[in-house]
Amino acid sequence: MRNKHKAGLYFVLPWVIGFLIFTIVPMIAAVFIGFTDWSIVGSNTKWVGFDNYIEIFNAEQFWHSLWITFRFAIISIPLVVFTSFTISVMLSKNIRAVGIYRIIYYMPAIVSGVAVSIVFRWILDPNNGLINLVLSYVGIDGPNWLFDPEWVLPSYLIMSLWGAGGGILTYLSALKDVPISLYESAEIDGANSFHKTRYITLPLMTPIIFYNLIIGIISAFRKFTDAYVLGGAGGEGEFYMVYLYQQAFTHYKMGYATALAWILFLIIMFFTVIVNISRKYWVHTG
Amino acid sequence: MKKYMTTILVLLVTILLVACQSSKPSNEFTIATWAAGTELAEFNEIVNEVNEAADGKYVIKTLSIPSDYYIKLSTQIAGRKAPEFFWLTQELIAKYADLGAIADITEYLSSGENLTQDDYYDGVIKSASLNNKYYGLPWIANPFIVYYNKTMFDALGVSAPTATDDWTWSEFIDISRQLAGKTYRDKSVYATVIEGNPNIETFIWSGGGDILAADGKTVILDSDATKQGVRNLVTLFRENLIPRYNTISYARNVYFERQEVAMYMGGIQDDFERKIALMDEADQFELGYAPIPADPNGQSNPFDWTASTVMSSSVKDKDLAYEALEALTLAFFTWKIAPPIKGTVDDILIIAPEKAAALDTIQHALNHARSANYTEVWTEVSDLYLWRGLYLPILQNPEVDYIDLIDKAASGMRSKIGD
Repeated sequence: MRNKHKAGLYFVLPWVIGFLIFTIVPMIAAVFIGFTDWSIVGSNTKWVGFDNYIEIFNAEQFWHSLWITFRFAIISIPLVVFTSFTISVMLSKNIRAVGIYRIIYYMPAIVSGVAVSIVFRWILDPNNGLINLVLSYVGIDGPNWLFDPEWVLPSYLIMSLWGAGGGILTYLSALKDVPISLYESAEIDGANSFHKTRYITLPLMTPIIFYNLIIGIISAFRKFTDAYVLGGAGGEGEFYMVYLYQQAFTHYKMGYATALAWILFLIIMFFTVIVNISRKYWVHTG
Repeated sequence: MKKYMTTILVLLVTILLVACQSSKPSNEFTIATWAAGTELAEFNEIVNEVNEAADGKYVIKTLSIPSDYYIKLSTQIAGRKAPEFFWLTQELIAKYADLGAIADITEYLSSGENLTQDDYYDGVIKSASLNNKYYGLPWIANPFIVYYNKTMFDALGVSAPTATDDWTWSEFIDISRQLAGKTYRDKSVYATVIEGNPNIETFIWSGGGDILAADGKTVILDSDATKQGVRNLVTLFRENLIPRYNTISYARNVYFERQEVAMYMGGIQDDFERKIALMDEADQFELGYAPIPADPNGQSNPFDWTASTVMSSSVKDKDLAYEALEALTLAFFTWKIAPPIKGTVDDILIIAPEKAAALDTIQHALNHARSANYTEVWTEVSDLYLWRGLYLPILQNPEVDYIDLIDKAASGMRSKIGD
């Protein structure tokens, strides 16, 4: 029996070693790197204590990128949750060729972020882009999107809807679990579609909404790929992760960037905890 | 079972250790390049020729990093796997030198038989130095010139600048006033287009000012000359001689190619000649060339983009490595425009014959080519104070108090550099 246990340990050993080397050790190293001036190409690394953190909180750029990210998060998270949920409710109906619609809506979620960004570069192009072309049909002179600082955030919000398909999968599977008997009882009591959605579907979906909210917070604050590929006029596309990346690989301030990463970790943790605390007021677990 | 597992573990560790050991001969050098595609094929051809000429004394191998070049390069350096040679653009030389990542080659260059610092254009070789020491061999120079649409100038009855006479920034603005707002090919045209390019240095130098003194440490950004130079930029915007920043919706060169602007400040490598030749006959136009206008002291200051090949500080046999580096650099001089060494301007006729009409202007630009006085924290200083603190606010709101911006940027730079 003991030998069997040992054999089992040997089998999980590669994963444990990998986890230690590629996750735990870098995390511990990152704590230390955040207190140094390590530049990645240099060899004279010095311990600087809390200097990186002090510099970060005094940097206008840090607050600027945090503000951009926060504004994006505060609008995009509810927007994506609402869109995903609404589409899921529609796709849960027994309509003809629903499978095809589901595939169409989910497909964007499996496309590479870089490819999506490049597609959106064209969609949002002020001169030849799809959106401005459609707007021109109804007599609207479309904005300059990513080329105009004031339209950079709306551009990213439009792009964020592209990822709504990822949430649809979880909502749909949860919708399938809602007992039909509840809807039937409600119908007997005279409930219409709105009542059924508001008083049956929505409460029963709150655990999934909660899950998607947490995931949404994490991904909104870690937004990088499209912002890195597309940028945005006037520095308005400089999300927190882009700022972090620039500090690490453009200015070679790896210690500073690592400190930024820890601050981001704490920010995400803070919002996650807040949402978790609020859970008891709106998530139906019974 | 235990025996088997132990054997497998020992085997794995051994394989790992063997794999980590370098088996590279001491006369084999690797050069990292951002070249890709056709450019890489040309690059490899040059490397092969150099290897053949070396006759086994050394062998140079190519490491192509076509995307995220600096990230992969810095990661390799951090992993102590730095290539012996790699390309660096001028603004990073001071940083890499200060961090000890690249070798000081002053002795080799000063005593070189085939190539010394005196062979280079002054402004070009300066961009590969820090504290009077040389850290790289520039292999290409790409200074700014002014391209203009001669056909448009003629049609609108505006006198065009000449190929080599130094026109002033006042004249540039006067000509811009004559061009902007005129209708050409049924469109209202602008004088030129600026959206962060040409860089802020071009305008700072246009008034005779500068960012840092020659020592790379003393901040002189808030001089009257700088303010006069930035006023040139602000004037172009305020008088609507160029399109507003938030209305620019495609690449700067496209405005020029579509004949929506009359002039374009760009590097000598810009290939408008080829693009114009490919246009429909009705869209083709005659190109004109002029130097970057002169500052109030009569000095033209074309910003020069330069790339150098540097040697990693981890190279053991530096004598042999430098020999290879020098041979490679000399071979590069026949590859692209412009070779950064004096007396080779006619070679441009062989390398890029379509640039024949621009030859005089190119020579003028190379003679005056310059980069900034770089410091080891340049990328940060440039991003924080020159771009975000000065250029971007002007682009976004030309009515901004630019004098105040310059003063604040200078103050921030001083505290950053410790001046």
